[in-house]
Amino acid sequence: MGAYVLRRLAWTPVLLMVVAFITFLLGVYGPGDPVEVLQGQYNNPEVVERIRERRGLNRNVFVQYAVYVKNIFQGDLGESFKYRGRTVSELIWKRMWVSAQLGMAASIISVALGIPLGVYAAMKQGTWADVTTVSATLLFMSLPVFITAPVLLLTLGLWLGILPISGWGGFFDPRIVMPALALGVPGIAVITRLTRASTLEVLSQDYVRTARAKGLSEFVVRRRHILRNSLIPVFTVVGLSLATLVEGAFITEGYFGIPGIGSLAIESFFSRDYPVITALALVIAAAFVAANLIVDIGYRFLDPRIRY
Amino acid sequence: MKFTRSTHLNQGQAIKGAGKSIASRLWMALLVGLVLAAAACAPRAGDDATEPATTAATAAPGQAATGQASTPAAATAAPAPAGGGESRSGYERGTLRRLYSDPPTLDPHLATDATSSAIIVEVFGGLVTIDLDLKVAPDVARDWLVSDDGLVYTFYLREDAVFHDGKPITAHDFKWSLERATDVVTEALGVEQYLGDIVGVDAKVSGEAREVSGVRAVDDHTLEITIDEPKSYFLSKLTYPIAFVLDRENVESGNRWVRTPNGSGPFKLEEYVPGERITLARNPNYHLGPPHLERVRLILSGGTSMLMYENDEIDVTGIGLADLDRILDPNHSLNSELMTSAPSFSTTYIGMNTTMPPFDDVKVRQALNYAINREEIASLVLADLVEPAKGILPPGFPGYNPDLPGYEYNPEKAQQLLAESKYAGNIDDYPIVLTVAGGLGASVDLDLESITRSWSEILGVDVQFQQTEWATYLQDLYKNRFDMFQVGWVADYPDPQNFLDILFHSESSNNHTQYSNPEVDRLLEQARTERDQATRFRLYQEAEAIIVDEAPWASLWHSGERYTLVKPWINDYYQLQLIIPKLRFVRLTE
Repeated sequence: MGAYVLRRLAWTPVLLMVVAFITFLLGVYGPGDPVEVLQGQYNNPEVVERIRERRGLNRNVFVQYAVYVKNIFQGDLGESFKYRGRTVSELIWKRMWVSAQLGMAASIISVALGIPLGVYAAMKQGTWADVTTVSATLLFMSLPVFITAPVLLLTLGLWLGILPISGWGGFFDPRIVMPALALGVPGIAVITRLTRASTLEVLSQDYVRTARAKGLSEFVVRRRHILRNSLIPVFTVVGLSLATLVEGAFITEGYFGIPGIGSLAIESFFSRDYPVITALALVIAAAFVAANLIVDIGYRFLDPRIRY
Repeated sequence: MKFTRSTHLNQGQAIKGAGKSIASRLWMALLVGLVLAAAACAPRAGDDATEPATTAATAAPGQAATGQASTPAAATAAPAPAGGGESRSGYERGTLRRLYSDPPTLDPHLATDATSSAIIVEVFGGLVTIDLDLKVAPDVARDWLVSDDGLVYTFYLREDAVFHDGKPITAHDFKWSLERATDVVTEALGVEQYLGDIVGVDAKVSGEAREVSGVRAVDDHTLEITIDEPKSYFLSKLTYPIAFVLDRENVESGNRWVRTPNGSGPFKLEEYVPGERITLARNPNYHLGPPHLERVRLILSGGTSMLMYENDEIDVTGIGLADLDRILDPNHSLNSELMTSAPSFSTTYIGMNTTMPPFDDVKVRQALNYAINREEIASLVLADLVEPAKGILPPGFPGYNPDLPGYEYNPEKAQQLLAESKYAGNIDDYPIVLTVAGGLGASVDLDLESITRSWSEILGVDVQFQQTEWATYLQDLYKNRFDMFQVGWVADYPDPQNFLDILFHSESSNNHTQYSNPEVDRLLEQARTERDQATRFRLYQEAEAIIVDEAPWASLWHSGERYTLVKPWINDYYQLQLIIPKLRFVRLTE
């Protein structure tokens, strides 16, 4: 186990360097130029040339990449083009933390409602309760955020006046409720369906029959034998989705006035802010690696039969 | 850990009875909301939804495409953490609140965008500024003299002008600031455009000289600037932030000096939390008269401007097309808070590359111009948010010619011109592609669709649309790769040179239609150095008349934030065509 984890970790930097290199190539050979965008409507080719020269954009792509990698190892992610004079670290970490907290709150909503609903639906398989649960969660999943967000804002914010309309105050601030609902409610359906399907499968397993046959109480059968086994696929999906938390949710963040990473990411793409784009690609890739690893390690605790 | 992350601004915000009761009320409300959503309310919610979404989608292109005009768009899309808890309690004492976008920089020498500039002009200042009549006016320089040959400007500085920390502003500060702005290390983008007329700037920016030879501090309160040619528009360029004065000690204190800038403007930067808020506080020592407001709070974290306005969380908002109809209704409760302003100093146009067939024939270009019903499209499609354009310069702009006839809608004349052109009968052999910035899956603007439709119906000219994303668009535009394109130009400084010389001189790098007429070049060059203002404007008007007649553009609209909602307790809030320091005039009725 320890060797396995170490081996996986050792590959991570290599993977990240590849990600950085691909992002780099896309920037250099793709259309558009950060200095031109910065310059805006007034085009002066001399200015573009001057700034490109100063920022090292005219150098060979491998040299640029080497310099970038060297700086990363010194903990320097570079300086933004668009937000002049601000370092990438200064721009991204705080926003990413905000997005991660929001994503976490949304995941809690999805999981806390999705798992019980899924188990419930499976236990009542084929009854009206099953059908209602599954279709209700599907309905919520089908509603895009540009419908749920305004509805939430209108009802809870403007008409009932019980929640503030926008802003951010952290994980324990009431302003997180509406955006977390908007983000988390659609996810309930995924978890519900997954839990339901895997619970049904587990229900038909021999060991469940055995457990009942040997006279275990229904509670113990459900908790220890059914739930624990049926959660393995759910754990995989939820675990991997944790990595997407750091990506931010552009539209939701925009509606509720949340200073997350979503809008910065979009802005950076449009303004060709390469240092920010590359850093985001790196962090997101790293998050996926980490989530994957955590899921793999977590299996061992959920199911001791799994070994590496 | 509970609530510790809320800042002092948000403290009033903890809603009554946190805890279980919230949760239960919440669920009830949620259920109510969903039922409503599924029922009658759905279309209405959808409408509201489109506003932020569209703003978001067009923010990047709009910003660059229309320069200044983007501030309203950006600001309209922005939100407010502050004061949220005081829902419906109205205003905040002495404070103007509005939604804003995080400015890319607050360094006056680096700013190139409207979002940054609008804050910078409130915090910093320079020799001259622009007053409410949009004329160049004294700022730190109380007066100035121009030598007889028009080359040497002598500025006499006010002796009472001080930086925010109380330090007097001297001519040496200006000299240092101009040299800092033009230093290659600073990486300022506007050097050539705004300061390139000053003798010695070329040498400084190329690294050949350490000083700018054309800037001399005669004594503490006298500054002399020498320019290369007697260009009377030079003075208006000095109103741009790149010419603003900075405190050397402040700038040299480290990379993060812009977080605690020692400016000279009417407001001090009291607090700046990137992505969250900017708070400006009154500068009681401001030399042109201190502001009435105690504070200005700009909310940077996003949100739905219209909703926040209706919830009394902000005092000013722009109005999206989706909300416009209901607010223009005189019976609507917000109608009395509506403020209408003149279109901004910008012109949206369709450019035609005059070197590419079929646009190399002037008659084709004129025919296309006659076949656009600008009045009708402006009122029916664009809800009169824009003003139809007759020429190049926007109304109210210096040198604007109200008598310019422009192109009326005349289908017969259009057909006749096309028939007389060398492409009569075979225009179909030249596929026309109209490139617009935007994309992201959004549809082409309805006004453009209307135009191409009427070209097709009247002239039988079929135009294909091509949407490219902004950075790609700019790159191709700069390389003059488009045969037909739609874009806008926003005034950088109030002088006709900023439109006509930059966009139509045959040697300008911004002449993307590759229009070339020796007579126009001659008039433009003559106007550069003409010292009599009336003669100068006449020269520009002559040039503009020729350009409009030869039609490298189909000028479309002068747009901008035409409608603003302002809370009744806010007085003297101005919505102007240029970015100028204007917040010090705002007064609140308490």
